[in-house]
Amino acid sequence: MSELFVELFSEEIPARLQINARNELKKNIKNFFIDNQIKFNENFNVYSTPNRLVLHVDKIPNEIKLSSEEIKGPNVNAPEKALEGFIRSNNTKLEKIFKKNTEKGEFYFLNKESRKIKVSDLLEKNLSEILKKIAWNKSMKWANYDLYWGRPLKSILAIFNKKPLNFDFNHINSSNKTFIDKSLEENIKIFNDFHSYLKFFKQKGILIDQDLRKKIIQNMINEIINKKNLKIEQNDRLIDEIVNIVEKPAVIVCDFDKKFLNIPSEILITTMQSHQKYLPTFDKKNNLTNNFFVVSDIKDTKGFVKSGNERVIEARLSDAEFFWEKNKTQNLVKQVDKLKNINYFKGLGSYFDKIQRMRKLSSLISDDFLISKDKIEIASSICKVDLMSDLVGEFPELQGIVGGHFARFQGFDKEVCLAVSEQYLPNGMESKLPKKMYSVALSLSDKLDSLVGFFGINLKPTSSKDPYAIRRMAISLVRLIVENEIKIKLKDLIVYTCSVYRDQGYEFDTKKIQNELSDFIIERLKNYLKEKKIRQDIIESSTFLLGLDDILKAYKKSLCLNKNIKKEIGFETIAAYKRSSNILNTEEKMSTESLGFADPGLFKNDYEKKLYKKINDIRKYFLSIGKDENYEESLKILSSINNEVNDFFDNVIVNDEDIIIKKNRLELLNMLCKTFDNYFNFSKIEA
Amino acid sequence: MVSKIKKKILSFQDTIFNLQKYWSKKGCVILQPYDLEVGAGTFHPATTLRSLGPKPWKTAYVQPSRRPTDGRYGDNPNRLQHYYQFQVLIKPSPKEIKKMYLNSLSSIGINHEEHDIRFVEDDWESPTLGAAGLGWEVWCDGMEVTQFTYFQQMAGVECKPVSVEITYGLERLCMFIQNKKSVFDLIWNDEEITYKDVFHQSEKEFSAYNFEYANTDNLFKIFEMLEEETKLLVEKKISLPAYDQCLKCSHVFNILDARGVISVAQRAEYIARIRELTKSIGKVWIESQS
Repeated sequence: MSELFVELFSEEIPARLQINARNELKKNIKNFFIDNQIKFNENFNVYSTPNRLVLHVDKIPNEIKLSSEEIKGPNVNAPEKALEGFIRSNNTKLEKIFKKNTEKGEFYFLNKESRKIKVSDLLEKNLSEILKKIAWNKSMKWANYDLYWGRPLKSILAIFNKKPLNFDFNHINSSNKTFIDKSLEENIKIFNDFHSYLKFFKQKGILIDQDLRKKIIQNMINEIINKKNLKIEQNDRLIDEIVNIVEKPAVIVCDFDKKFLNIPSEILITTMQSHQKYLPTFDKKNNLTNNFFVVSDIKDTKGFVKSGNERVIEARLSDAEFFWEKNKTQNLVKQVDKLKNINYFKGLGSYFDKIQRMRKLSSLISDDFLISKDKIEIASSICKVDLMSDLVGEFPELQGIVGGHFARFQGFDKEVCLAVSEQYLPNGMESKLPKKMYSVALSLSDKLDSLVGFFGINLKPTSSKDPYAIRRMAISLVRLIVENEIKIKLKDLIVYTCSVYRDQGYEFDTKKIQNELSDFIIERLKNYLKEKKIRQDIIESSTFLLGLDDILKAYKKSLCLNKNIKKEIGFETIAAYKRSSNILNTEEKMSTESLGFADPGLFKNDYEKKLYKKINDIRKYFLSIGKDENYEESLKILSSINNEVNDFFDNVIVNDEDIIIKKNRLELLNMLCKTFDNYFNFSKIEA
Repeated sequence: MVSKIKKKILSFQDTIFNLQKYWSKKGCVILQPYDLEVGAGTFHPATTLRSLGPKPWKTAYVQPSRRPTDGRYGDNPNRLQHYYQFQVLIKPSPKEIKKMYLNSLSSIGINHEEHDIRFVEDDWESPTLGAAGLGWEVWCDGMEVTQFTYFQQMAGVECKPVSVEITYGLERLCMFIQNKKSVFDLIWNDEEITYKDVFHQSEKEFSAYNFEYANTDNLFKIFEMLEEETKLLVEKKISLPAYDQCLKCSHVFNILDARGVISVAQRAEYIARIRELTKSIGKVWIESQS
């Protein structure tokens, strides 16, 4: 049993690409072993540091036995060259070739005897192909070479059974050597097995295994936060990034001047996390502290790293402080007029125009939401002012949030401030969702205005391009409505938005926008349901012929049915429906000639009467106000008909000789289906 | 050499001299700054145009770079509307470029064994140049001091061979070396002349021009004129003068942007117009190379 050990040494590969390359390499090598029927330890791992991508698989046999096989060659009528090629590629002689008849004619064949193959030979032959198959999310070329890799690849070390494997990967020849210093790439060392390789680097403080690196970083951090009574925010994305940008981690505690804590914490946190990859710390009450952690890739023996990073944050925060002090006192209301100078979008006017529209729209929405018209109008008027501030210029990702802070500083109503802060939320599928009605109203009117505007000037996204992130906008709209369970007449709102645009002189084709936007939003709803792991057939039926005003209903019903479809009530409801509809489907004429009701006078037995009564009970139930809101209860009621349906089918023959009776029975089943359709379009559900 | 540097503070101009000397020894053609307003060293034709086509090329030069929107009237210790970049471009990218770069840092007193030097992912794109590259920003103890990029595309054309571009932000680098908190406190030469002495007035006045006084009506017209001129020169197949006009377009656009008279959507449109110019010039240049 032997081990395969490969190291690909390159210039620094970014964190995301490393993770992706590890997964790809793992998958490809696994497939290779499986395809070639070579046993291997399936718990193998792929490791990486920014410079090294390392594969280690053990428990591999040195040889595999291939059983004898008959290999088909070219047709006997093919040109002679084909036969020569066949002989060459199989490394055999003419004497061993024979002819044989097949269904497709006479062919040359070769009988390959059972033989042993060295795994090392197979690896040498295939490794280059395996590496080539790595699908990089983003890759590059360098110098004169044609190879694509995450960053320039410098060397390949490949070992099997303690011996080097020799192969060419584009311009690089594999060997048993690698660079042991990532910086100057001056020192080279030979390695013949993975263990000594790991050990060698461990002695230098370099951790090849990313999981170990993560654990050690976390331990170092935990030790410090316990000692200092601090907390850090759980931020997997940041930690995973940090883990993959160091090989020799050292956590350094740094601090910044406490005076900066007067700046809104979002600004400080954004500066530390997204710009500098620092970990901000919090006290036990979750207040940001002036301590932060730097994960360095070097031991800070001279204190340069600490003082350097502190200087960097000081400079960045001074910048932020300067802007904060300057911007927070600039009167939001007085600046509204200046929005006239800022174009929102070509063909959709200035931001001033936009907020006028949003004001009207949110004012209308406020009636439905039972919130103060004055307050939401104020929020709409000031919500875009922060776009003109230096702070948003510096921290575009904090638009809205910064505006909320300005509003708070200037003494605006609490709900207005929050609405301004949250106006861009949610931003897609994963983002935080505003819950307060003022925030929802502002966000909703912003998104509706944008959607109608973009559709109005015909900038709809295509299947491949969505440069203005309109899909995300619509998904966010769907989330606002369904997750907050808002009952809203979206169709009317779209028409109203068009009229508000018209008041400003934008002539849109209202009918066209309404149709297109409707379809578009419902498409997004479908995606949303898919993300929520709702079965495809349920999605299709719940959104079939769906009106835009009913997306909340569609969502709730889908959720309910998806939850219950494998349970008794779901199962029985569908069974009852399917039994009835299957018969109807075979009687094609039924749909056109249907009266819409059965005649109780024509019933011949109790089963028909009982079914008829039950259907009418259910109909009454659905007519009573509000009942259809309780979707699970409704489903239960529907399922309760299953007994009557079963009794009916077990004892009644629909296909009666008397055509009138037959027709009446079909009418009865049709009534049942129609009643069920009120609740849900079951016809598209797969049993 | 190293011990000598440690004795006295390396001045701004000595930093430039050392880098020039270092890259000169590596075989680079040391050029002088391009004599037009540009936003970055990349815009120098010695980078943009020379990175296109098959001919090998090595160069290094200082390029004054203008970013009108970054002006702060000389009030901000870290922001300037005019600053210096030291630019290196080598085609094809040499195998030992990282070593060369780290050694260049040693030449200005930054020893990579004492500092946390990081190559942080930063894929570069210049929409106006129709250019894109993969690489890093290099951090030294958390401070970004260099852009390191392998060009993949320039003027809309795939680079073959690939050039590597190294851009040092000279002010930042010197603030790091001299341990200064404000760019204006940088020591320019051994006579203790500071950056403030040299550039403060200019920052103040140009900020006022860029943000307040630039005549936008005229600039919009000038943009149109320059664009037209560029197109004409492209037709005449003289790429370098055409490129000059295009650079001027780009700078006029930057001032208009700083004046806040260009909306988000318009921005995209103007950038696209400049990119189209660059692409057409790139084509003419490549034809002239074969």
